[in-house]
Amino acid sequence: MVKQMEDRHSIWIRIFHWTNMIAITMLCLTGFYIHAPESFRLFANMDNARMIHFGMAYLLCVGVLGRVYYAIVADDAKNIVFSVTKDTPKFPSMMKYYLFMADSHPYYGKYNPGQKMMYTGWLFMALIQIITGFVLYKPDMFMAVSGWLGGYMAVRVIHYIVTWLFVLSVLAHVYLDISEGVPVLKSMFTGKIPADFDHGTHEEHAPAPGESIGA
Amino acid sequence: MPTKLSRRDFIRLCAGGAAAISLSSYLAPFMAEAVAAGAPPVLWIQGGSCTGCSISILNTVSPDIEKVLTEVISLRYHPNISAAAGDLAIQEALYKTAEEFKGQFFLVVEGAVPVAADGMYCIIGEKDGQHLTFERAVKEIGSQAAAILNFGTCSAFGGIPATPPNPTKCKPVSEIIKTVPIVNVPGCPPHPDWMIGTIAHVLLYGDVPEVDSFGRPKMFFGGIIHDNCPRRQYFDNAIFAKNFGDPGCLLEIGCKGPIAHCDSTTRLWNGGVNWCIKAGAPCIACTEPQFPGWPMYERIPEMPIAPAMTATIDQIGGVLGAAAVLGIGGHLAGNIATGRIGPKKNDAEKEGDN
Repeated sequence: MVKQMEDRHSIWIRIFHWTNMIAITMLCLTGFYIHAPESFRLFANMDNARMIHFGMAYLLCVGVLGRVYYAIVADDAKNIVFSVTKDTPKFPSMMKYYLFMADSHPYYGKYNPGQKMMYTGWLFMALIQIITGFVLYKPDMFMAVSGWLGGYMAVRVIHYIVTWLFVLSVLAHVYLDISEGVPVLKSMFTGKIPADFDHGTHEEHAPAPGESIGA
Repeated sequence: MPTKLSRRDFIRLCAGGAAAISLSSYLAPFMAEAVAAGAPPVLWIQGGSCTGCSISILNTVSPDIEKVLTEVISLRYHPNISAAAGDLAIQEALYKTAEEFKGQFFLVVEGAVPVAADGMYCIIGEKDGQHLTFERAVKEIGSQAAAILNFGTCSAFGGIPATPPNPTKCKPVSEIIKTVPIVNVPGCPPHPDWMIGTIAHVLLYGDVPEVDSFGRPKMFFGGIIHDNCPRRQYFDNAIFAKNFGDPGCLLEIGCKGPIAHCDSTTRLWNGGVNWCIKAGAPCIACTEPQFPGWPMYERIPEMPIAPAMTATIDQIGGVLGAAAVLGIGGHLAGNIATGRIGPKKNDAEKEGDN
Protein backbone atom coordinates (compact mmCIF):
# COMPACT_ATOMS: atom_id res chain seq x y z
CA MET A 1 0.00 0.00 0.00
CA VAL A 2 1.29 3.40 -0.88
CA LYS A 3 1.49 5.65 2.11
CA GLN A 4 -0.81 8.62 1.94
CA MET A 5 1.36 11.75 1.87
CA GLU A 6 0.51 15.39 2.35
CA ASP A 7 2.42 18.53 1.45
CA ARG A 8 4.53 20.09 4.17
CA HIS A 9 7.27 22.21 2.59
CA SER A 10 6.90 24.05 -0.70
CA ILE A 11 9.74 23.92 -3.20
CA TRP A 12 10.82 27.47 -2.28
CA ILE A 13 11.06 26.66 1.41
CA ARG A 14 13.22 23.67 0.56
CA ILE A 15 15.47 25.64 -1.80
CA PHE A 16 16.05 28.43 0.73
CA HIS A 17 16.53 25.93 3.54
CA TRP A 18 19.32 24.11 1.76
CA THR A 19 21.08 27.17 0.30
CA ASN A 20 21.04 28.80 3.73
CA MET A 21 22.24 25.55 5.29
CA ILE A 22 25.17 25.37 2.87
CA ALA A 23 25.95 29.06 3.33
CA ILE A 24 25.80 28.96 7.15
CA THR A 25 27.81 25.75 7.39
CA MET A 26 30.54 27.05 5.11
CA LEU A 27 30.51 30.46 6.82
CA CYS A 28 30.99 28.81 10.21
CA LEU A 29 33.79 26.53 9.00
CA THR A 30 35.66 29.27 7.11
CA GLY A 31 34.92 31.66 9.95
CA PHE A 32 36.56 29.44 12.54
CA TYR A 33 39.55 29.08 10.23
CA ILE A 34 39.82 32.84 9.75
CA HIS A 35 39.52 33.28 13.51
CA ALA A 36 42.13 30.68 14.43
CA PRO A 37 44.04 29.43 11.38
CA GLU A 38 46.67 27.74 13.52
CA SER A 39 44.32 25.56 15.54
CA PHE A 40 41.53 25.02 13.00
CA ARG A 41 43.46 23.76 9.98
CA LEU A 42 40.68 23.11 7.53
CA PHE A 43 41.71 25.21 4.54
CA ALA A 44 44.95 25.51 2.61
CA ASN A 45 45.38 29.23 3.08
CA MET A 46 43.69 32.44 4.10
CA ASP A 47 42.96 33.34 0.47
CA ASN A 48 40.71 30.31 -0.10
CA ALA A 49 38.98 30.58 3.24
CA ARG A 50 38.27 34.29 2.83
CA MET A 51 37.09 33.88 -0.76
CA ILE A 52 34.65 31.12 0.29
CA HIS A 53 33.60 33.17 3.33
CA PHE A 54 32.76 36.25 1.25
CA GLY A 55 31.06 34.24 -1.49
CA MET A 56 28.95 32.37 1.03
CA ALA A 57 28.17 35.66 2.76
CA TYR A 58 26.55 36.91 -0.45
CA LEU A 59 24.71 33.59 -0.83
CA LEU A 60 23.38 34.00 2.71
CA CYS A 61 22.27 37.58 1.96
CA VAL A 62 20.31 36.33 -1.05
CA GLY A 63 18.95 33.39 0.95
CA VAL A 64 17.77 35.56 3.84
CA LEU A 65 16.24 38.14 1.52
CA GLY A 66 14.48 35.44 -0.50
CA ARG A 67 13.24 33.59 2.57
CA VAL A 68 11.82 36.78 4.10
CA TYR A 69 10.19 37.73 0.80
CA TYR A 70 8.70 34.26 0.47
CA ALA A 71 7.43 34.34 4.06
CA ILE A 72 5.61 37.59 3.31
CA VAL A 73 4.10 36.85 -0.09
CA ALA A 74 3.21 33.21 0.58
CA ASP A 75 1.72 34.05 3.99
CA ASP A 76 4.27 31.71 5.51
CA ALA A 77 5.23 34.25 8.19
CA LYS A 78 2.39 33.08 10.47
CA ASN A 79 4.05 29.66 10.63
CA ILE A 80 7.52 30.79 11.60
CA VAL A 81 7.34 34.20 13.30
CA PHE A 82 7.34 33.94 17.08
CA SER A 83 4.60 35.93 18.76
CA VAL A 84 5.32 36.79 22.38
CA THR A 85 1.65 37.07 23.35
CA LYS A 86 0.35 34.02 21.44
CA ASP A 87 3.26 31.60 21.58
CA THR A 88 4.66 32.14 25.08
CA PRO A 89 1.63 30.54 26.82
CA LYS A 90 2.19 27.40 24.74
CA PHE A 91 5.67 26.88 26.16
CA PRO A 92 4.74 24.87 29.31
CA SER A 93 2.96 22.10 27.39
CA MET A 94 5.84 21.89 24.92
CA MET A 95 8.46 21.78 27.67
CA LYS A 96 6.45 19.07 29.45
CA TYR A 97 6.54 16.99 26.28
CA TYR A 98 10.26 17.51 25.73
CA LEU A 99 11.04 16.73 29.38
CA PHE A 100 8.99 13.50 29.23
CA MET A 101 6.43 14.82 31.71
CA ALA A 102 3.70 14.35 29.14
CA ASP A 103 3.27 11.72 26.47
CA SER A 104 1.94 14.05 23.83
CA HIS A 105 1.60 17.72 23.14
CA PRO A 106 -1.21 19.83 21.73
CA TYR A 107 -1.35 20.71 18.06
CA TYR A 108 0.58 23.98 17.64
CA GLY A 109 0.28 24.57 13.93
CA LYS A 110 3.11 23.85 11.53
CA TYR A 111 5.80 24.53 14.12
CA ASN A 112 5.83 24.50 17.90
CA PRO A 113 6.65 27.70 19.82
CA GLY A 114 10.25 26.62 20.43
CA GLN A 115 10.82 26.14 16.73
CA LYS A 116 9.20 29.47 15.96
CA MET A 117 11.43 31.16 18.48
CA MET A 118 14.53 29.56 16.98
CA TYR A 119 13.62 30.37 13.38
CA THR A 120 12.76 33.97 14.23
CA GLY A 121 15.96 34.20 16.24
CA TRP A 122 17.95 32.96 13.25
CA LEU A 123 16.59 35.77 11.14
CA PHE A 124 17.89 38.33 13.64
CA MET A 125 21.17 36.48 14.10
CA ALA A 126 21.64 36.36 10.33
CA LEU A 127 20.95 40.09 10.10
CA ILE A 128 23.48 40.79 12.87
CA GLN A 129 26.05 38.64 11.08
CA ILE A 130 25.40 40.34 7.74
CA ILE A 131 25.75 43.83 9.22
CA THR A 132 28.82 43.12 11.37
CA GLY A 133 30.30 41.01 8.57
CA PHE A 134 30.09 43.82 6.04
CA VAL A 135 31.54 46.28 8.57
CA LEU A 136 34.57 44.01 8.93
CA TYR A 137 34.69 43.25 5.19
CA LYS A 138 34.67 46.91 4.09
CA PRO A 139 35.87 48.88 7.12
CA ASP A 140 36.24 52.03 5.02
CA MET A 141 32.75 51.94 3.60
CA PHE A 142 30.88 51.25 6.84
CA MET A 143 32.98 53.34 9.21
CA ALA A 144 29.96 55.09 10.71
CA VAL A 145 28.23 51.76 11.44
CA SER A 146 31.27 50.57 13.35
CA GLY A 147 31.00 53.73 15.45
CA TRP A 148 27.37 53.02 16.34
CA LEU A 149 28.23 49.45 17.32
CA GLY A 150 31.06 50.50 19.63
CA GLY A 151 34.08 50.18 17.37
CA TYR A 152 35.65 47.49 15.23
CA MET A 153 36.80 45.43 18.19
CA ALA A 154 33.22 45.23 19.50
CA VAL A 155 32.04 44.34 15.98
CA ARG A 156 34.57 41.49 15.84
CA VAL A 157 33.42 40.18 19.21
CA ILE A 158 29.72 40.36 18.26
CA HIS A 159 30.41 38.59 14.96
CA TYR A 160 32.27 35.81 16.71
CA ILE A 161 29.75 35.32 19.55
CA VAL A 162 26.86 35.05 17.09
CA THR A 163 28.86 32.47 15.13
CA TRP A 164 28.96 30.34 18.27
CA LEU A 165 25.22 30.88 18.77
CA PHE A 166 24.65 29.56 15.24
CA VAL A 167 26.76 26.47 15.92
CA LEU A 168 24.97 25.72 19.19
CA SER A 169 21.46 26.33 17.86
CA VAL A 170 22.07 24.29 14.71
CA LEU A 171 23.15 21.43 16.96
CA ALA A 172 19.82 21.58 18.80
CA HIS A 173 17.90 22.02 15.54
CA VAL A 174 19.40 18.94 13.90
CA TYR A 175 18.92 16.75 16.96
CA LEU A 176 15.34 17.79 17.71
CA ASP A 177 14.25 17.40 14.09
CA ILE A 178 15.78 13.98 13.60
CA SER A 179 14.57 12.77 16.99
CA GLU A 180 11.01 13.58 15.96
CA GLY A 181 11.37 10.96 13.26
CA VAL A 182 13.07 10.40 9.95
CA PRO A 183 9.96 11.53 8.02
CA VAL A 184 10.56 15.05 9.35
CA LEU A 185 14.07 15.06 7.87
CA LYS A 186 12.82 13.47 4.66
CA SER A 187 10.11 16.08 4.28
CA MET A 188 12.76 18.79 3.86
CA PHE A 189 13.96 16.94 0.74
CA THR A 190 10.69 15.69 -0.71
CA GLY A 191 8.34 18.30 0.67
CA LYS A 192 5.90 15.62 1.75
CA ILE A 193 5.16 13.97 5.08
CA PRO A 194 2.98 10.91 5.80
CA ALA A 195 -0.61 11.98 6.35
CA ASP A 196 -0.82 10.01 9.57
CA PHE A 197 2.28 11.63 11.08
CA ASP A 198 1.64 12.65 14.68
CA HIS A 199 1.64 16.45 14.87
CA GLY A 200 0.19 16.51 18.37
CA THR A 201 -3.15 15.82 19.88
CA HIS A 202 -5.87 18.14 18.77
CA GLU A 203 -7.67 19.34 21.80
CA GLU A 204 -9.91 22.08 20.46
CA HIS A 205 -10.67 20.80 17.01
CA ALA A 206 -9.58 17.75 15.15
CA PRO A 207 -8.71 18.65 11.57
CA ALA A 208 -10.63 16.70 9.00
CA PRO A 209 -8.60 13.87 7.47
CA GLY A 210 -6.51 15.18 4.62
CA GLU A 211 -6.57 18.78 5.89
CA SER A 212 -3.16 20.19 5.13
CA ILE A 213 -1.01 21.21 8.03
CA GLY A 214 1.62 22.60 5.70
CA ALA A 215 2.04 26.16 4.57
CA MET B 1 33.65 74.09 -20.18
CA PRO B 2 37.29 74.71 -19.26
CA THR B 3 37.76 76.47 -15.93
CA LYS B 4 40.07 79.43 -15.76
CA LEU B 5 42.79 78.87 -13.19
CA SER B 6 44.51 81.89 -11.73
CA ARG B 7 48.17 81.67 -10.76
CA ARG B 8 47.22 81.69 -7.09
CA ASP B 9 44.68 78.89 -7.55
CA PHE B 10 47.27 76.89 -9.47
CA ILE B 11 49.81 77.26 -6.67
CA ARG B 12 47.19 76.26 -4.12
CA LEU B 13 46.32 73.20 -6.15
CA CYS B 14 49.98 72.20 -6.36
CA ALA B 15 50.41 72.76 -2.65
CA GLY B 16 47.32 70.72 -1.89
CA GLY B 17 48.60 67.94 -4.09
CA ALA B 18 52.00 68.11 -2.43
CA ALA B 19 50.34 67.84 0.99
CA ALA B 20 48.33 64.84 -0.10
CA ILE B 21 51.30 62.90 -1.43
CA SER B 22 53.51 64.09 1.42
CA LEU B 23 56.05 66.05 -0.60
CA SER B 24 56.10 68.24 2.43
CA SER B 25 59.40 69.91 1.62
CA TYR B 26 57.72 71.45 -1.40
CA LEU B 27 55.04 72.79 0.90
CA ALA B 28 57.20 75.04 2.99
CA PRO B 29 57.59 77.92 0.51
CA PHE B 30 53.85 77.99 -0.18
CA MET B 31 53.05 78.00 3.51
CA ALA B 32 55.63 80.70 4.14
CA GLU B 33 53.96 82.71 1.39
CA ALA B 34 50.57 82.14 2.98
CA VAL B 35 51.85 83.27 6.37
CA ALA B 36 53.51 86.32 4.83
CA ALA B 37 50.20 87.13 3.15
CA GLY B 38 48.59 87.23 6.57
CA ALA B 39 47.55 83.67 7.30
CA PRO B 40 46.01 83.33 10.76
CA PRO B 41 48.17 82.30 13.72
CA VAL B 42 48.10 78.92 15.42
CA LEU B 43 47.83 78.35 19.17
CA TRP B 44 48.81 75.03 20.72
CA ILE B 45 47.60 73.98 24.17
CA GLN B 46 48.33 70.80 26.09
CA GLY B 47 46.18 69.00 28.64
CA GLY B 48 45.89 65.38 29.70
CA SER B 49 48.69 64.15 27.48
CA CYS B 50 52.23 62.82 27.59
CA THR B 51 53.65 65.54 25.29
CA GLY B 52 54.37 62.73 22.84
CA CYS B 53 52.49 64.49 20.04
CA SER B 54 54.68 67.59 20.49
CA ILE B 55 57.77 65.40 20.47
CA SER B 56 56.48 63.75 17.30
CA ILE B 57 56.03 67.08 15.49
CA LEU B 58 59.57 68.04 16.50
CA ASN B 59 60.67 65.00 14.47
CA THR B 60 59.39 66.44 11.23
CA VAL B 61 62.11 66.00 8.63
CA SER B 62 61.21 68.15 5.71
CA PRO B 63 60.45 70.91 6.38
CA ASP B 64 62.42 70.60 9.61
CA ILE B 65 60.94 71.96 12.79
CA GLU B 66 63.09 75.08 12.83
CA LYS B 67 61.79 76.05 9.43
CA VAL B 68 58.23 75.17 10.40
CA LEU B 69 58.32 77.39 13.46
CA THR B 70 60.26 80.33 12.10
CA GLU B 71 58.97 80.54 8.56
CA VAL B 72 56.03 78.28 7.90
CA ILE B 73 53.50 78.72 10.64
CA SER B 74 52.85 81.59 12.94
CA LEU B 75 52.76 79.61 16.18
CA ARG B 76 52.01 82.13 18.90
CA TYR B 77 51.87 79.79 21.89
CA HIS B 78 53.18 76.34 22.68
CA PRO B 79 53.70 75.23 26.30
CA ASN B 80 56.99 73.44 25.59
CA ILE B 81 58.74 75.48 22.95
CA SER B 82 57.54 79.00 23.71
CA ALA B 83 60.21 81.10 25.36
CA ALA B 84 57.60 83.09 27.25
CA ALA B 85 56.38 82.00 30.67
CA GLY B 86 53.92 83.14 33.31
CA ASP B 87 51.60 86.04 32.55
CA LEU B 88 53.49 86.79 29.37
CA ALA B 89 52.59 83.36 28.02
CA ILE B 90 49.01 83.03 29.25
CA GLN B 91 47.77 86.61 29.07
CA GLU B 92 49.76 88.01 26.18
CA ALA B 93 50.47 85.05 23.93
CA LEU B 94 47.40 82.90 24.51
CA TYR B 95 44.48 85.12 25.43
CA LYS B 96 45.47 88.28 23.55
CA THR B 97 46.04 86.36 20.31
CA ALA B 98 42.70 84.64 20.70
CA GLU B 99 41.02 88.02 21.20
CA GLU B 100 42.86 89.73 18.38
CA PHE B 101 42.20 86.98 15.82
CA LYS B 102 38.77 85.96 17.08
CA GLY B 103 37.15 83.52 14.68
CA GLN B 104 40.29 83.36 12.52
CA PHE B 105 43.05 81.57 14.41
CA PHE B 106 43.40 77.81 14.63
CA LEU B 107 43.66 76.04 17.95
CA VAL B 108 45.68 72.87 18.27
CA VAL B 109 44.65 70.77 21.26
CA GLU B 110 46.91 68.02 22.54
CA GLY B 111 45.59 65.79 25.30
CA ALA B 112 42.22 64.87 26.75
CA VAL B 113 40.22 67.26 28.92
CA PRO B 114 39.79 66.14 32.56
CA VAL B 115 36.46 67.46 33.83
CA ALA B 116 36.25 65.81 37.29
CA ALA B 117 36.54 68.26 40.24
CA ASP B 118 35.89 71.23 37.93
CA GLY B 119 38.92 70.33 35.85
CA MET B 120 41.34 70.77 38.77
CA TYR B 121 43.24 67.64 37.73
CA CYS B 122 44.87 69.60 34.94
CA ILE B 123 46.02 73.16 35.54
CA ILE B 124 48.00 74.69 32.71
CA GLY B 125 48.76 78.10 34.22
CA GLU B 126 47.44 81.06 36.10
CA LYS B 127 45.11 83.76 34.90
CA ASP B 128 44.12 86.82 36.96
CA GLY B 129 45.53 85.14 40.06
CA GLN B 130 43.30 82.10 39.52
CA HIS B 131 44.16 78.57 38.49
CA LEU B 132 43.60 78.19 34.79
CA THR B 133 42.24 74.72 34.26
CA PHE B 134 42.64 73.02 30.91
CA GLU B 135 38.87 72.62 30.67
CA ARG B 136 38.41 76.38 31.03
CA ALA B 137 41.17 77.13 28.52
CA VAL B 138 39.62 74.79 25.94
CA LYS B 139 36.21 76.37 26.47
CA GLU B 140 37.38 79.98 26.37
CA ILE B 141 40.01 79.75 23.63
CA GLY B 142 38.36 76.96 21.66
CA SER B 143 35.02 78.70 21.31
CA GLN B 144 36.76 81.65 19.58
CA ALA B 145 38.81 79.57 17.13
CA ALA B 146 38.08 79.19 13.42
CA ALA B 147 38.62 75.46 13.84
CA ILE B 148 40.09 73.13 16.41
CA LEU B 149 42.76 70.67 15.34
CA ASN B 150 42.90 67.73 17.73
CA PHE B 151 46.42 66.33 17.52
CA GLY B 152 46.65 62.89 19.06
CA THR B 153 44.08 60.26 20.03
CA CYS B 154 43.62 61.78 23.51
CA SER B 155 42.15 65.07 22.37
CA ALA B 156 40.41 63.46 19.39
CA PHE B 157 38.74 60.47 21.07
CA GLY B 158 39.84 60.39 24.72
CA GLY B 159 42.67 57.93 24.25
CA ILE B 160 44.64 56.60 27.19
CA PRO B 161 43.44 59.15 29.81
CA ALA B 162 39.78 58.42 29.04
CA THR B 163 40.15 54.63 29.18
CA PRO B 164 38.35 53.07 32.17
CA PRO B 165 38.49 53.53 35.12
CA ASN B 166 39.18 57.14 34.11
CA PRO B 167 39.25 58.71 37.61
CA THR B 168 39.78 62.22 36.24
CA LYS B 169 36.79 61.90 33.88
CA CYS B 170 38.82 62.76 30.80
CA LYS B 171 36.81 63.66 27.71
CA PRO B 172 37.66 64.30 24.08
CA VAL B 173 37.52 67.92 22.95
CA SER B 174 34.48 67.23 20.79
CA GLU B 175 32.43 66.68 23.96
CA ILE B 176 33.55 70.03 25.40
CA ILE B 177 33.21 72.30 22.36
CA LYS B 178 30.40 71.62 19.93
CA THR B 179 30.13 74.91 18.07
CA VAL B 180 33.49 74.96 16.27
CA PRO B 181 34.55 72.74 13.36
CA ILE B 182 36.91 70.03 14.58
CA VAL B 183 39.56 68.04 12.72
CA ASN B 184 40.82 64.91 14.46
CA VAL B 185 44.38 63.85 13.74
CA PRO B 186 44.59 60.76 15.95
CA GLY B 187 47.60 58.57 16.54
CA CYS B 188 49.71 57.72 19.52
CA PRO B 189 51.52 59.82 18.50
CA PRO B 190 50.36 61.15 15.12
CA HIS B 191 52.85 61.19 12.27
CA PRO B 192 54.52 64.63 11.92
CA ASP B 193 53.36 64.76 8.28
CA TRP B 194 49.74 64.34 9.36
CA MET B 195 50.05 67.29 11.74
CA ILE B 196 52.08 69.56 9.43
CA GLY B 197 49.89 68.53 6.51
CA THR B 198 46.68 69.35 8.36
CA ILE B 199 48.03 72.72 9.49
CA ALA B 200 49.17 73.37 5.92
CA HIS B 201 45.74 72.55 4.61
CA VAL B 202 43.86 74.83 6.97
CA LEU B 203 46.33 77.70 6.44
CA LEU B 204 46.42 77.43 2.66
CA TYR B 205 42.74 76.85 2.09
CA GLY B 206 41.39 78.60 5.16
CA ASP B 207 39.11 75.59 5.52
CA VAL B 208 39.18 72.18 7.18
CA PRO B 209 40.15 69.19 5.00
CA GLU B 210 37.67 66.52 3.93
CA VAL B 211 37.12 64.21 6.88
CA ASP B 212 35.63 60.75 7.44
CA SER B 213 32.84 59.94 9.88
CA PHE B 214 35.27 60.07 12.83
CA GLY B 215 36.51 63.53 11.81
CA ARG B 216 39.86 62.32 10.46
CA PRO B 217 41.32 63.86 7.27
CA LYS B 218 40.69 61.40 4.46
CA MET B 219 44.01 62.23 2.80
CA PHE B 220 45.89 60.59 5.70
CA PHE B 221 43.38 58.15 7.19
CA GLY B 222 41.67 56.86 4.05
CA GLY B 223 43.16 53.37 4.01
CA ILE B 224 43.45 50.24 6.11
CA ILE B 225 46.86 49.07 7.36
CA HIS B 226 46.01 45.48 6.41
CA ASP B 227 45.36 46.39 2.75
CA ASN B 228 48.88 47.67 2.14
CA CYS B 229 50.77 45.69 4.74
CA PRO B 230 54.22 44.48 3.65
CA ARG B 231 53.41 41.24 5.52
CA ARG B 232 50.12 40.78 3.67
CA GLN B 233 51.40 37.84 1.64
CA TYR B 234 52.06 35.99 4.90
CA PHE B 235 48.42 36.50 5.83
CA ASP B 236 47.14 35.27 2.47
CA ASN B 237 49.34 32.20 2.71
CA ALA B 238 48.33 31.63 6.35
CA ILE B 239 51.86 31.95 7.73
CA PHE B 240 51.45 33.41 11.20
CA ALA B 241 54.04 34.58 13.69
CA LYS B 242 53.64 32.85 17.06
CA ASN B 243 56.20 34.97 18.85
CA PHE B 244 57.62 38.42 18.49
CA GLY B 245 60.44 38.37 16.00
CA ASP B 246 59.05 35.48 13.95
CA PRO B 247 58.51 35.97 10.25
CA GLY B 248 54.85 35.87 9.33
CA CYS B 249 51.64 37.82 9.70
CA LEU B 250 51.32 39.32 13.18
CA LEU B 251 47.55 38.77 13.45
CA GLU B 252 47.79 36.00 16.02
CA ILE B 253 49.91 38.12 18.35
CA GLY B 254 47.33 40.86 18.32
CA CYS B 255 47.85 42.92 15.16
CA LYS B 256 44.88 45.26 14.64
CA GLY B 257 45.91 46.09 11.07
CA PRO B 258 42.60 44.89 9.57
CA ILE B 259 40.68 47.54 11.55
CA ALA B 260 43.19 50.42 11.69
CA HIS B 261 42.96 53.43 9.41
CA CYS B 262 46.11 55.36 8.48
CA ASP B 263 48.79 55.56 5.78
CA SER B 264 51.82 54.46 7.81
CA THR B 265 52.25 51.50 5.42
CA THR B 266 53.28 53.83 2.61
CA ARG B 267 54.41 56.95 4.48
CA LEU B 268 56.77 55.26 6.98
CA TRP B 269 58.09 56.95 10.13
CA ASN B 270 61.29 58.61 11.24
CA GLY B 271 61.82 60.27 7.90
CA GLY B 272 60.74 57.26 5.87
CA VAL B 273 63.07 54.78 7.58
CA ASN B 274 60.85 52.38 9.48
CA TRP B 275 57.42 51.87 10.99
CA CYS B 276 55.58 49.67 13.49
CA ILE B 277 55.06 46.51 11.41
CA LYS B 278 58.46 46.73 9.76
CA ALA B 279 59.99 46.84 13.24
CA GLY B 280 58.11 43.63 14.09
CA ALA B 281 55.49 45.22 16.32
CA PRO B 282 51.82 44.37 15.75
CA CYS B 283 49.61 47.33 14.90
CA ILE B 284 47.71 48.53 17.99
CA ALA B 285 45.22 50.62 15.96
CA CYS B 286 46.21 53.80 17.80
CA THR B 287 44.27 55.93 15.32
CA GLU B 288 40.92 54.32 16.12
CA PRO B 289 38.38 55.94 18.45
CA GLN B 290 38.29 53.01 20.89
CA PHE B 291 42.07 52.87 21.37
CA PRO B 292 43.36 51.57 23.78
CA GLY B 293 40.26 49.77 25.02
CA TRP B 294 41.44 46.35 23.87
CA PRO B 295 44.27 43.96 24.73
CA MET B 296 47.14 45.00 22.49
CA TYR B 297 48.80 41.63 22.02
CA GLU B 298 45.72 39.41 21.81
CA ARG B 299 43.49 38.75 18.84
CA ILE B 300 40.16 39.17 20.61
CA PRO B 301 39.47 40.34 24.18
CA GLU B 302 38.15 37.91 26.76
CA MET B 303 34.54 38.22 27.90
CA PRO B 304 33.60 39.02 31.50
CA ILE B 305 31.56 36.11 32.87
CA ALA B 306 31.50 37.05 36.57
CA PRO B 307 32.96 39.82 38.72
CA ALA B 308 36.73 39.84 38.15
CA MET B 309 36.52 36.73 35.94
CA THR B 310 36.95 36.46 32.22
CA ALA B 311 36.93 33.67 29.67
CA THR B 312 37.59 33.49 25.96
CA ILE B 313 34.61 33.16 23.66
CA ASP B 314 35.96 29.76 22.62
CA GLN B 315 35.93 28.55 26.22
CA ILE B 316 32.36 29.79 26.75
CA GLY B 317 31.26 28.28 23.45
CA GLY B 318 33.02 24.99 24.18
CA VAL B 319 31.39 24.67 27.60
CA LEU B 320 27.97 25.49 26.17
CA GLY B 321 28.59 23.03 23.32
CA ALA B 322 29.55 20.29 25.77
CA ALA B 323 26.44 21.08 27.80
CA ALA B 324 24.34 20.88 24.62
CA VAL B 325 25.86 17.50 23.70
CA LEU B 326 25.20 16.19 27.23
CA GLY B 327 21.65 17.53 27.08
CA ILE B 328 21.09 15.91 23.71
CA GLY B 329 22.50 12.62 24.97
CA GLY B 330 20.26 12.72 28.01
CA HIS B 331 17.24 13.58 25.94
CA LEU B 332 18.03 10.83 23.46
CA ALA B 333 18.23 8.34 26.32
CA GLY B 334 14.90 9.64 27.57
CA ASN B 335 13.41 9.32 24.09
CA ILE B 336 14.47 5.70 23.87
CA ALA B 337 13.41 4.89 27.44
CA THR B 338 9.94 6.30 26.93
CA GLY B 339 9.64 4.58 23.58
CA ARG B 340 9.39 7.65 21.41
CA ILE B 341 12.33 6.39 19.37
CA GLY B 342 13.74 2.93 18.86
CA PRO B 343 12.52 -0.67 19.19
CA LYS B 344 9.69 0.14 21.60
CA LYS B 345 8.20 2.68 19.19
CA ASN B 346 5.96 0.30 17.29
CA ASP B 347 4.66 -1.25 20.50
CA ALA B 348 3.76 2.19 21.82
CA GLU B 349 1.95 2.99 18.62
CA LYS B 350 0.02 -0.26 18.77
CA GLU B 351 -0.96 0.46 22.32
CA GLY B 352 -2.11 3.87 21.18
CA ASP B 353 -4.19 2.29 18.44
CA ASN B 354 -5.87 0.01 20.85
